[in-house]
Formats: sequence, C-alpha cells, structure tokens
Amino acid sequence: MLNETTNAATAAVNGKALILAASAIGAGLAMIAGIGPGIGQGYAAGKGAEGVGRQPEAQGDIVRTMLLGAAVAETTGIYGLVVAIILLFANPLVGKL
Amino acid sequence: MDSVKVLHKKIFMTAGVFTFILAMVFLLFFDSSKSLILGLVFGVLISGLNFIDLSNTLQRAVSMSPEKAQSYTVRKYFMRYIMNGVVIFVAVKTPHIHVISTVLGMLLIKFSIMITNLFNDKQFYINIFKRKEV
Repeated sequence: MLNETTNAATAAVNGKALILAASAIGAGLAMIAGIGPGIGQGYAAGKGAEGVGRQPEAQGDIVRTMLLGAAVAETTGIYGLVVAIILLFANPLVGKL
Repeated sequence: MDSVKVLHKKIFMTAGVFTFILAMVFLLFFDSSKSLILGLVFGVLISGLNFIDLSNTLQRAVSMSPEKAQSYTVRKYFMRYIMNGVVIFVAVKTPHIHVISTVLGMLLIKFSIMITNLFNDKQFYINIFKRKEV
C-alpha cells in the first residue's frame, strides 16, 4: 500500500513542478535579505536622534552622513527583492527543461 | 537644511549624467533600445523618489526620541521596500519595460553616491594600500 502511494506521488511530481516548488522556497529565502537593512537603518536613525539630542548644532552633518549610508544600505535589500521576484514571476529555469 | 539640498542636487546631477550615458550606450549598441531606455528612466525616477522619501524620513526621525525614531524609520523602510517590489513586478510583467535596465536604474543612485563621495577622493585609494598596524 505504502509502495503504491509512493509510486503515485513520484509519478505526479514532474520536473516543472519540482523547479517551481524549489523556486518558491528560494524566493522566500531571498526575501530574508530585506530584513537586515531595515533593522540597520532603524538603529542608525535611533543613534542619529541620540546624537542630535546631544549636539543639536551638528544636525545637518548627522543627517547628511546618515542619508548616504542609509541609501547605500537600502540597495542590498533591493538585490534580494529582484532575485525573489524574478524567481517567482520570470523564472528562467523553467524554460531549461 | 541647505546642506542636504546641496547633496540631493549633486547626487541627482550625477545620476542624470549616468542615465544619459547609459541611454546613449543602449541606443547605439542594443536592438531593443526603446524598452531598455524606458526601463532605465523608470528605475531612476523611482529610486530618486525613494531617495527623497528617505531624506524626509531621516530629517523627521532625528527630531524624535531614539525609540520612536527607530520604529518610524523601520516602518518607512518597509513601505519603500514594498514600493520597490511593485515597481520590479510591473517591470517584469510589462513587455515594453526591460527588467534588467529597471534594476540598473534603481541602483544608479547608489553608484552616484559612491562616485561623488568615495571614489573621487585620492585618500580612499591611498588608504587601500596603507598598512593598518601603526
């Protein structure tokens, strides 16, 4: 009985379905990349607010430096997002079958 | 906040110059240049809006208490992240917008920041070869 069920399941899973399932898992893993920059930006903004509270005349310098760092950090999240969206909606691996 | 506006202007000017150069390269060397240029302009415009939003967020965040600033910045970051996701999704689904050039356009702001603030400084190249022990 168990053998028959296993054989039926193996026959049902074809190559395309396997690739799509693996791509969905990969897309989910790639989305984890978006969490890091968010947490990092939050910490930076918190410390920036502390810095401005301690030295209000340096606000312009603090915001400027933080802006450059945050903009560069944000692009790393975009890389993960691009990988996830391409895996989900324009998967190049399905055509290879 | 004049210094921030000057920074905006400098970065947008550099991004504009790079967009123009890339558009010329697409026009001269690629067959599907229309979709490539459209994607590039689309990506640059969206990333410019994101940069302005980031700037407004940080300017507001530094006047808050640290805990509030942290949660506010993270919230706004995820809103921008979702917006970026929608933009890439639209670029993937629309046939006359090239997705690779859209992503390239979205990353152009980063390249212009790197070029205007890091790679134009000779000290950066000197520091690469400088010994760190002393």
